[in-house]
Amino acid sequence: MRTRIFWAMLAALLNINLCFAADLDPKLKQFESSRMDVIKKVAPAVVAVVTGGGSGVLISADGFALTNFHVVAGQSPALKCGLQDGILYDAVLVGLDKVGDVALIKLLPKEPNKPFPFAKLANSDKVQVGDFSIAMGNPFMLATDFSPTVTFGLVSGTHRYQYPEKGMFEYTDCIQIDTSINPGNSGGPLFNMNAELIGINGRGSFDKRSRINSGVGYAISINQIKNFMGHLRAGHFVDHASLGAVVASGFEESALGKVSVSGMIDSDASRRGIKIDDQLLYFAGRPMTSVNQFKNVLGLYPKGWRLPLTYKRELENGSSERKEVLVRLMGSEKMEIGNPNGAPPMPVEPKPMPMPLPKGQIPPKAPGPKLPTGPAAKLFEAKPGYANYYFNKLEKERLLNNFKKNGDFSSLLGNWQVQTTGKIGDKGRQAVVVLRILAKGAKDAKNDLVQGIFDGIDFSVEPLAVEQTGKVLKDPPGSGGLLVAFFQLRQLLAYGEKGFVGDFSHGGMEPYYTPSENTLKPNFAAQRIDAEVLRTNLAGVNTKWYFNPADSKLLGYEVSTDREDDPCEIHFSDYKKDSSGRELPGKILIKYGDKEYASLKVDGWKLE
Amino acid sequence: MTFLLQASLFAALAVSYQAGEMSLNDVVQKVNPKMVKIYGSGGFKGLPAYGTGVLVSANGYVLTVANHLMETTDLRVHLYDGTRLPAKLVAMEPELDIALLKIGTDKSKIDDLPFYDIVAAAKAPLATPGTSILAFSNQFQIASRDEPVSVMKGTIAAYAKLFGRIGIFEAPYSGNVYVVDAITNNPGAAGGIITNRMGNIIGIIGKELRNEQTNTWINYAVPINAELEIKLADGSAKKISITNLIEKKEAYKPVTKASKSTGGGGYLGIVYVPNVVDRTPPYIEYVEPGSPAQKAGLLPDDLIVYVDGVPVVSVNSLLELMQRYRPQERIQLEIRRGDKLQTISIQVESPPKALPNKGAETKGN
Repeated sequence: MRTRIFWAMLAALLNINLCFAADLDPKLKQFESSRMDVIKKVAPAVVAVVTGGGSGVLISADGFALTNFHVVAGQSPALKCGLQDGILYDAVLVGLDKVGDVALIKLLPKEPNKPFPFAKLANSDKVQVGDFSIAMGNPFMLATDFSPTVTFGLVSGTHRYQYPEKGMFEYTDCIQIDTSINPGNSGGPLFNMNAELIGINGRGSFDKRSRINSGVGYAISINQIKNFMGHLRAGHFVDHASLGAVVASGFEESALGKVSVSGMIDSDASRRGIKIDDQLLYFAGRPMTSVNQFKNVLGLYPKGWRLPLTYKRELENGSSERKEVLVRLMGSEKMEIGNPNGAPPMPVEPKPMPMPLPKGQIPPKAPGPKLPTGPAAKLFEAKPGYANYYFNKLEKERLLNNFKKNGDFSSLLGNWQVQTTGKIGDKGRQAVVVLRILAKGAKDAKNDLVQGIFDGIDFSVEPLAVEQTGKVLKDPPGSGGLLVAFFQLRQLLAYGEKGFVGDFSHGGMEPYYTPSENTLKPNFAAQRIDAEVLRTNLAGVNTKWYFNPADSKLLGYEVSTDREDDPCEIHFSDYKKDSSGRELPGKILIKYGDKEYASLKVDGWKLE
Repeated sequence: MTFLLQASLFAALAVSYQAGEMSLNDVVQKVNPKMVKIYGSGGFKGLPAYGTGVLVSANGYVLTVANHLMETTDLRVHLYDGTRLPAKLVAMEPELDIALLKIGTDKSKIDDLPFYDIVAAAKAPLATPGTSILAFSNQFQIASRDEPVSVMKGTIAAYAKLFGRIGIFEAPYSGNVYVVDAITNNPGAAGGIITNRMGNIIGIIGKELRNEQTNTWINYAVPINAELEIKLADGSAKKISITNLIEKKEAYKPVTKASKSTGGGGYLGIVYVPNVVDRTPPYIEYVEPGSPAQKAGLLPDDLIVYVDGVPVVSVNSLLELMQRYRPQERIQLEIRRGDKLQTISIQVESPPKALPNKGAETKGN
C-alpha cells in the first residue's frame, strides 16, 4: 500500500516537473535564473561567524568582513569563521561600533596573500520600498559546511528609525525587510538584485513569536557603515555623534512635521549660533520633517564629523533668516576606558538575537573577554578606546609612509621660517606676516620659541613651557592660536611621531571642507573632501590633521588649545616643490570660529 | 495533486510580480498615500495604542477594524504627508469587525485626499488562491508622521471560513477571509489592507487572532466585498456588508444579533454602582463576604477597566462579558484604584445557592 502511494507520488512529481517546465512564462524563467545567478555570485563572500553564532560578509580581497557588534561582543578577539568553501578560517577583531551594532573583522587566508571572494558595496540610498532583497547567513547554525541559507523578500521600508536597546544598537536610517531573518542571521548580508551589498541584517521587531521572524527585519544600511569604515579599519571602538542640541517636533494640528531646537548645551552647534526655537530645515543634506528623521541622520556619522546644517530663525520684525553652517558633532557616550586586564572593552550584553543551540551541543561561545591565542594573536593589541590597536598602527604607518613621498623633513630640526603677504583681520588690511621657530630659542635655552611678526607687531610663545596660560597659546588674538599651530606643523613634519608626547593615532576618515571664495553662499557638498585623519596631542594641545587620500598631501589641520573653544583652522593650498623636492603650500588660510583670520600668500619657506 | 497546486501557485506568484506593467516601487508609491496611521486608546496589556486605516473618500472617511483604539475621545490620525488630524468614530459593525472614522474638524475642510472607491472595488470578483498580494500596515508603529507604512509581499493561500479567537473569545467575524502567507498578524497591522499586484484593494487586515483549532496566529484579511446574513434577535435575517456601511456612513445602524450564551456565566460576588445610564462605569459598590471578589482583594470604589485585556466601558458591557465565562475559569482584571492601575487575578465560581440580592439589575454577578 505504502509503496503504491510512493509510486503514485513520484509519478505525479515527474509529471509536474514536465508541465512546470513547459508552462513557465519566459519572463519568470529569466527572473528565476537571474536570481540564481545573483545567489551564486555572492554566496562565496558570505561568512559563518562560528565564534558568536552569527553571520558576516567579506568586503575586500584581503579578508575584511562585516558582522554585528552583538555577534562578537563578549568573545575573544580571535575568531573562527567559515566560508562556503567549507574551510574554517582564523579571524581577528578589527573595529567596533557598539551604538550602530557593527563590527569589522579580518579573515586570515590559508595561503599568504591569497585573495578572498568579496561583495561589492551598493549605494544604499538608492534602495526603494518594493525592491526585492536577498538575505544570506547561517540562521539556527543550520549549515555545518558553512554554505549559507538564502531567504528572499521585499524591502518594506527605508530610512527607518529603531530605538536603542539599553543604550546600544540604535538602528538609524535602516532598511526594513520582510525577508526572513532569524537567530544566526545577525551580521549577515542583505543584497539587492544586482548582487551588491545594501546592508547588514541585525534586528527584527518581535512580539508574540519570541525571536523568530515575524516579517519585520532590519538591516543597517551600508552607506552608514561606509561613514564609519575609516574608523573601523583603524581599529577604533567608535563613538556615535550628538549635535549638542535637543530637538522636538511641533504638535500643531494639520501642520507638517516641523523640527525645532528645544534645548542646547555648550557645543560647536551653540558656537555656530544655533539657538533655542530655531527650526532645522536640512541636516547633512536631508530635509528635517520629524524627530525620527533627525535621529536617522545623526546616527549615520561618527563623533567629530563636520556636517552642514541649515536653520531658519523667526526675527522680531516678522521676517525670518535662513543660514547654512558647518557643525562639528559631539560624541554620544563616554567610551569605557581603563580596562585593567588590557582586554578590549567589550561588555557582555544580552544579544538581541541569541543563538539557540540544538540539544546536547556545546555552545561555541567563550565565557567572556579573553586574550587571543593562535595566529590571530599576532594581529591584536589591546588599548583602551580601541577594539584592536594593532590595526591603528598599521593604518598610521601606511598614512605616514605615503605622506613622506611628498618630502622628507626629518633632517630639518633647526630654525623654521615662513614669510608671507596677505590680508589679516576683520578689515582685511594688507600686511607682511612672518612666522618663525627658533630652536632652543627660549629663555631657558632648552625650549623652542615661536615668533610671529604681523605687520610690525610682534608676538611670541614658548609652546612647551610648563607655565603657559591658555590666552597666550591663542596668540595672536583672533587667530585661535596661529603661533602654536605653526609649531605643531614643524613637530609633525620634522619629528613625526617622536614630536608628540601624547596621542599619535590614525583617526579614521572625516570630511574636510576646502575654503570657499564665496563665504556668503557656501556649497559644502562641492567643498568636501573625505580626508584621512591623524590625531596628535602635545602639551595639552590637540591637533587633527587632514590628508587628501588621493595624493597624501596635508590639506589642513585644526589646533585646539582649549576644549571649550573653537580650534585654529589652517588650510593649505597651491602646493609647490622647494629646491630639495619637498612639497610646500603656497597659500595658507587661517580661520577661527566663523571668521577668516588671515589669507596669506607664501613668499618663501626657510627650513633649517 | 498538492504538488501540482503548489507548483502552479509558485509560478503564478513569480510571473505576476515580473510580468506586471508597473514596478512594485510604483505600486507601493500609488498605495501609500491612501494609508493612515491611527492613534487611540490602549498601550498596555498587549493592546497597542496604534493601528492602521485606509482612506475611502476624498473628504476624509477612513475604514479600519472595530477595536479598542476607538475607546477614546482623543482619536488621532497621521496622513501620508505627515499631517496630524483628530478623528471620530462615525459607524461600526461588530459582525464585520470594521469601523468607519471621519478625520478633521468641522472647521478644517478636507476634500482632496487620495482614496480607494470601496464600492467600485467591491464589484471585482473575489481574488483566487495563488493571487500575489502586497500587505500595507503600520505594524509595530514603525512609521509615524510622514513616514510611509510597511509593505510586505505574499500570496493568497486560501479563501476560507474564519475560526478565530481573541483570548477566550470567538472572533466577532465569522465569514470567509483571505488567508495569506505574509505575516500580517502583528501589533498595529489590523486595519491595514491587502492589495493585488497592481495595488487594487482586496481586503482589510483583521485583528490579531488565533486559530481556534490549532492555536496558531492566523494571517488573514476580510475581503472588501464581504457580505454576511445575520440572524437577528427577532428571528428575521439581514444582509450586511462593508460597502453598505461605507455608503450609509453616519446613518449606518449595526445589527443586533440573536444572543448566544457561550459560557453560562460565573459568580464573582460584586455589586456594582446603580446602573442609571447607558454607560455607567463599572465601579464596585460592595463586595460579597466570602466571594471570589473578596478573596482576590477587590474593594469598593475600584473601577474595572479591562477583563482579560478586553476594555469594559459600562456595567452593561461587563455583565454581558461575564456571561461568557464558566465557573473555575481564572480571569485577569485590570482595575483602577485611586489613580493607579493594577492587575488582579480572580477565579470565577458557581453562584452560591441562595444568591444575595438576586435578580436586581443594578447588582452584579
